[in-house]
Amino acid sequence: MNHMGMNHMEMHHHMGMNHTDDNITMPPHHHPTTSASHSHGGGDSMMMMPMTFYFDFKNVNLLFSGLVINTPGEMAGAFVAVFLLAMFYEGLKIAREGLLRKSQVSIRYNSMPVPGPNGTILMETHKTVGQQMLSFPHLLQTVLHIIQVVISYFLMLIFMTYNGYLCIAVAAGAGTGYFLFSWKKAVVVDITEHCH
Amino acid sequence: MPMHFIFSDEAVLLFDFWRVHSPTGMALSVLVVLLLAVLYEGIKVGKAKLLHKTLESLPATNSQQFILGPDQDSTGSRSTSDNRTRLRWFLCYFGQSLVHVIQVVIGYFVMLAVMSYNTWIFLGVVLGSAVGYYLAYPLLNMT
Repeated sequence: MNHMGMNHMEMHHHMGMNHTDDNITMPPHHHPTTSASHSHGGGDSMMMMPMTFYFDFKNVNLLFSGLVINTPGEMAGAFVAVFLLAMFYEGLKIAREGLLRKSQVSIRYNSMPVPGPNGTILMETHKTVGQQMLSFPHLLQTVLHIIQVVISYFLMLIFMTYNGYLCIAVAAGAGTGYFLFSWKKAVVVDITEHCH
Repeated sequence: MPMHFIFSDEAVLLFDFWRVHSPTGMALSVLVVLLLAVLYEGIKVGKAKLLHKTLESLPATNSQQFILGPDQDSTGSRSTSDNRTRLRWFLCYFGQSLVHVIQVVIGYFVMLAVMSYNTWIFLGVVLGSAVGYYLAYPLLNMT
C-alpha cells in the first residue's frame, strides 16, 4: 500500500525505496540533516500522507480505512458526498442560530409581564434560566452541537488529505450551503468560529 | 513530517512550490501567514458589515421583512419593487457566499500552515489573528 502510494504521486518519484522502508520501520521524527523532501514520507501508519496539495484520484484514503478512492467514478461520488456534507454543515449552523433566536424570543416573552412590580424581576429571570437548562430547545441544541462538531472535524480531516478535488468540494459545498440557507440570516458574527 | 513543534528554517507549506530553506524565506513565509490570519479576521467582520450595510440601505419595511423571513409578508401588493429588492438580495447573497467560500478556504489554509508544526509559522498565525481581531472588531461597531 505504501509502495503504491509512493508510485502514484509524481512529486515523490525522486525518493528511493530505501528511504521508504526507513520510514515504515522507524518512528517518525525530524532529521535536521536531510532535505525537506524527507518530511514527505513520514507518517505513523501504513498510510502515506502528502504534505502539499495535489490532484489525483488513485489511492486516496477518505476518513475510514475501508474508504479508499481508486477510480475517477469513486472520486466523483466522494466529491458529491463531501459537497453535500459541507452544505449540510452550513445549513446546520444557520438552523441552530435560528433555533437559538427563537428560544431567546420565548424567554423574552416569559419575562414580559413581570416588570410592573418592583422587586420581582430578578427572581423571574432566574426561574427562566433554570427552565432553559432542562428545556427541550436546549437539549436539541446540545444534540445538534454534537453533530456539528463531528461534521466540522470530518470536513477538517477531509481538507487535510490535501487532495485538490476534495478540498474544492468542501469549499464549494460551504459556499452553496451558505447561499441556499442564509436567506433568513440576520447580522450575527460568530466570534468563536475559527477554521471553518 | 514532524509530530511536535520545532524551531526550524525549513518547511514545506501547503503547496509543493512553497518550500522554505533559509531564514529570510522563513521570515517571508511568517509574514505571508500573518497577513492571511489578519485577512481571515478582516473577512469575518467585513462579511457582517456588508450584510448590515445592505440591510440599512434598503427601506425599513423591506429589511425588516427580510430579517424575519420572506414568508412573513406574502401579500405581494408591490410586486415590481419587491422584484427589484429580491434581485438585489440575490446579488448581495451571491457576493456574501463567495466571500464565505474565501473565508472557509483561508481558514483551512491557516490550519494547514499551523499543521506544519513549525513554531515560527505558528507564532505568525497567532500574532496575525490577534492583530486582525484587534484591528477589525472595533470597525464592526463603527457605522
